[in-house]
Amino acid sequence: MYPKEFEKSIRKVEETRQERLKKPPERLGEKEKEELLKKWHPDYKPEAKRKLRVGVSKGSIVPNEVADIIEAYPLINPDEIDLSQIDYETDILIIGGGGAGTAAALFAYYNGISPENIIIATKLRHGDSNTIMAQGGIQAADKENDSPVIHYLDVIGGGHFANKPELVARLVLDAPLIIKWHEELGVMYDKKEDGEMITIHGGGTSRKRMHSAKDYTGMEIMRVLRDEARNIGIEVLEFSPAIDLLIDDEGKVGGALLYNLETDQYYVVKAKAVILATGGFGRLHIQGFPTTNHYGATADGLVMAYRVGAKLRDMDSVQYHPTGVAYPEQIVGLLVTEKVRGLGAQPVNVEGEQFVHPLEPRDVEAAAIIRECYGRNKGVITPTGMRGIWLDSPMIEIIHGKGTIERRLGAMFRMFKRFDIDMRYEPILVFPTLHYQNGGIEINENAQVLGINGIIKGLFAAGEVEGGVHGKNRLMGNSLLDTQVFGRIAGINAAKYSRKAKVGKLSLEHVKKYVEELKKAGIKEERKAPILLPDYREKKVLSRAIDIL
Amino acid sequence: MARKRKEGRKKEEMKMVRIYIMGKEYKVPAGLTIMKAMEYAGYRYIRGAGCRAGFCGACATVYRKEGDYKLYADLACQTTVEDGMWLVQLPFTPANKATYDLEEIKLDDKTLVNFYPEIARCVSCNTCTKACPQELEVMDYIQACLRGDIKKAAELSFDCIQCGLCALRCPAEIAHYHVSQLARRLYGKYIAPKAKHLEKRVEEIKEGKFDKEMKEIMEKSIEELKEMYNSRYIEPEEEEIVVEAD
Amino acid sequence: MEEMAYYPGCTLKTNAKEFEESLLRVFKKLGIRLKELNKWYCCGTVYSLATDNLMYRLAAIRNLIKVMEEGYDKVVVPCSICYNTLKQANLMARNDKEAMEKINSFMDEEPDYDGSVEVLHPLELLREKIDKLKGKLNGKYACYYGCLLLRPKEVAIDEYEMPTIMEKIVEALGGSVVNFPLKNECCGSYNVVSNKEAVIDRVYRIIMNARKNEAEAILTSCPLCHFNLKEMQNEIKKIHADFVDMPIYYFSQIIEEALE
Repeated sequence: MYPKEFEKSIRKVEETRQERLKKPPERLGEKEKEELLKKWHPDYKPEAKRKLRVGVSKGSIVPNEVADIIEAYPLINPDEIDLSQIDYETDILIIGGGGAGTAAALFAYYNGISPENIIIATKLRHGDSNTIMAQGGIQAADKENDSPVIHYLDVIGGGHFANKPELVARLVLDAPLIIKWHEELGVMYDKKEDGEMITIHGGGTSRKRMHSAKDYTGMEIMRVLRDEARNIGIEVLEFSPAIDLLIDDEGKVGGALLYNLETDQYYVVKAKAVILATGGFGRLHIQGFPTTNHYGATADGLVMAYRVGAKLRDMDSVQYHPTGVAYPEQIVGLLVTEKVRGLGAQPVNVEGEQFVHPLEPRDVEAAAIIRECYGRNKGVITPTGMRGIWLDSPMIEIIHGKGTIERRLGAMFRMFKRFDIDMRYEPILVFPTLHYQNGGIEINENAQVLGINGIIKGLFAAGEVEGGVHGKNRLMGNSLLDTQVFGRIAGINAAKYSRKAKVGKLSLEHVKKYVEELKKAGIKEERKAPILLPDYREKKVLSRAIDIL
Repeated sequence: MARKRKEGRKKEEMKMVRIYIMGKEYKVPAGLTIMKAMEYAGYRYIRGAGCRAGFCGACATVYRKEGDYKLYADLACQTTVEDGMWLVQLPFTPANKATYDLEEIKLDDKTLVNFYPEIARCVSCNTCTKACPQELEVMDYIQACLRGDIKKAAELSFDCIQCGLCALRCPAEIAHYHVSQLARRLYGKYIAPKAKHLEKRVEEIKEGKFDKEMKEIMEKSIEELKEMYNSRYIEPEEEEIVVEAD
Repeated sequence: MEEMAYYPGCTLKTNAKEFEESLLRVFKKLGIRLKELNKWYCCGTVYSLATDNLMYRLAAIRNLIKVMEEGYDKVVVPCSICYNTLKQANLMARNDKEAMEKINSFMDEEPDYDGSVEVLHPLELLREKIDKLKGKLNGKYACYYGCLLLRPKEVAIDEYEMPTIMEKIVEALGGSVVNFPLKNECCGSYNVVSNKEAVIDRVYRIIMNARKNEAEAILTSCPLCHFNLKEMQNEIKKIHADFVDMPIYYFSQIIEEALE
């Protein structure tokens, strides 16, 4: 239920609705976009970032919160770990049980690795991931008026031309294959009566190629993949995050050290190939932003990979989703899917005025909302002092007919309804929220991780942990796609690699060297990483709930 | 004087409520979710927290309120604490999943009963439906499974987040969420019409139809790409009202 | 067109589809629209004999509440087992106030129920419409009732020891009926799962009794009787090599044929 003081503004939104329906706002020109980003996007705040002082990407600029965990000491003392006692020996170890990790496991199996020789180790439960939370959809150029090449141009333009071309090409060419695979597994995509996929626009798309399964797209994909992995019998070690990779005497990656969160025991896993599918960094709360991410999104993979010499790229850019919940307080920061705008809801300010086209690329849209609230002072101020703008959701049913919101945005409708807000009749209040790690560890088109001297043998990566696919800004619907495309590629190539690989004597030498480097750089032993889980105990949970900026 | 008043207001904002976590009393600020209230009380989750946004089912929980005989079931991340709530953490719901090879399954009225014979034990008590934090008609989809109506079961269960509360509360010991998972996959694979344009595009890609054009665009300079991007055709937004397959 | 609530039961949606299809067409022709309840659940038959446990009545009562909620005061239930279960539960609702108090307070989010709905078997309805049943039915039929349409006698659709309802229908349609002493004999019911031999033996006696009286086909109303009478014939042949198949029909299939 909205507080009384919102009523005046809501009435203004209602009064301007008919006019706005007739005339959607103009899209911005290239120049205007650049200026808007420079002035208002959080990425352009220099004091929020710093240069890395150690490692292969020394000197590159990353958010302070990322630098804090990169420039941190390991959780264990490498000298105290007995690596001669192997707890699990396997062909392929997959670290991370989300969409990328599970797709990798399935494709390793399809490519001849028996289920007993695949292990998924994951920090929480199998499926606990950002994948399961992805609502809006997954892109694939599978319609007559579209092509992978058009998709390519959208991705690279949206990413500010910083993307790695060969990765983008794989992303867009494999996309239809992935959707077809899903269809065969029984994923219930939204379809018309003749079987045609119902597709809509997402921010920055030039064709309607967003496929969805209501607004539970990621959950539907994840639960089908998980069901399939369980049918096949792939072993999953839950509540067992990796805390460091292991290398052998030739410097190849040959396993990982896992940590059982419930029993405090360590497990040594020896593996011919390791796939990192650990996801992103939302729970680091970059610049204090609330986040849409799941509880385990603490960038553990970045930390581990960096210690074995993986290069980082595009880590200076962070994706703030333009529309996180700004009210009610219980769900502040949670995602309001871009599909809401895709279906026609316009962003409007406290006066009920339009100020930006609803489907600009995410960074532009977010910057425009921040400017409206803080530059022009036209935001709605909530009882806890947060600011937000209206997303005029009732427009959706005017455009698409009654029942559309419940049918196609069931998750959103339910989330607000739990707190007595009916988005069919009332607009919803939103503000940008920390959403996605645009960059990550560098890979090639075979999902092999790259170090300063080329490929790091035995190590593959897929999903949000890797960078280069999305350049400096990811488009909606390309992250689910990324997990599936590169999960698949990683699974196939790890299977191929593991057939020939032999792992020598395991060690943590690289960690010892990294510790020396930290010391040499004068970094005090104050921080340890990976952090595994955020700490919200006592008042910390409140600061997230009340003080946003 | 002014200062005092300000503090007074702040105190009012931080109205506290009494809750009982596993029977032990704590005071937490009103307006928090159960999940955040337990963190405020000093708990650090390992189990019982996942997406924190109502999508993963990790934080399924049950609670009672003072003076009310009902046992409520809900998601800790989506429910606001109330004064006098008795809270608990549910770490896990044991439930067996059938294993199957979807390619080999014979689809008929009895497929679901054959994999999950226990659904025939349903006494229509409706406890599952009352326990569902997604407010799904759980009993109705189990009944649909029982009479072989896979389409109905798939539709009614679509928003299931597999939290397990139905399975925990069911007197007939059914694992509803596993049954409906199979129903949905059968629907998606065998009953929903196939997307012909998708099949066509997959063939085109396999034949290499886009390879040349892709190679060309990959070799373009950033300046050329910028120009192409800024002048690209954008499909108009207007969407005809579509009749969706349900 | 007269409209009535219709409760199909699970079996008419799976093993007895031809029963439902023919039945619905028959009633349509007779000007009665059987409107399937939007929501209905298993009748709870598994527990229909365990009268001491009220939990097992919930399913039946819930369905009767749905009839009420959807605005009807009568419901047509073709499957003998469902009919029996719902009818018995309804009698309890009318007569056992104490039990209903418990059930109503357990189902605390549903409306209270007091037995106001009337549970009808389609044969009862057809009896009222017998003057409309005119056709040219050929053949000699043995009308088989089984037990659930007649026992306990409080729920019987006809004279419980000597029912004639189906015979009257067949005759009205121009067919002939045979004398059939075993028409109320139990077919063996669910024993087909645990004691198949006993069921085979019973079915054999029932069919031979019909045949001895020159029946050319047996009519029934119950999907379980139908199953036993039909499916056990192959088993019978293994024991009695000279056994010849006897066709088994739902009464509605015969009526439909005759009306065409």
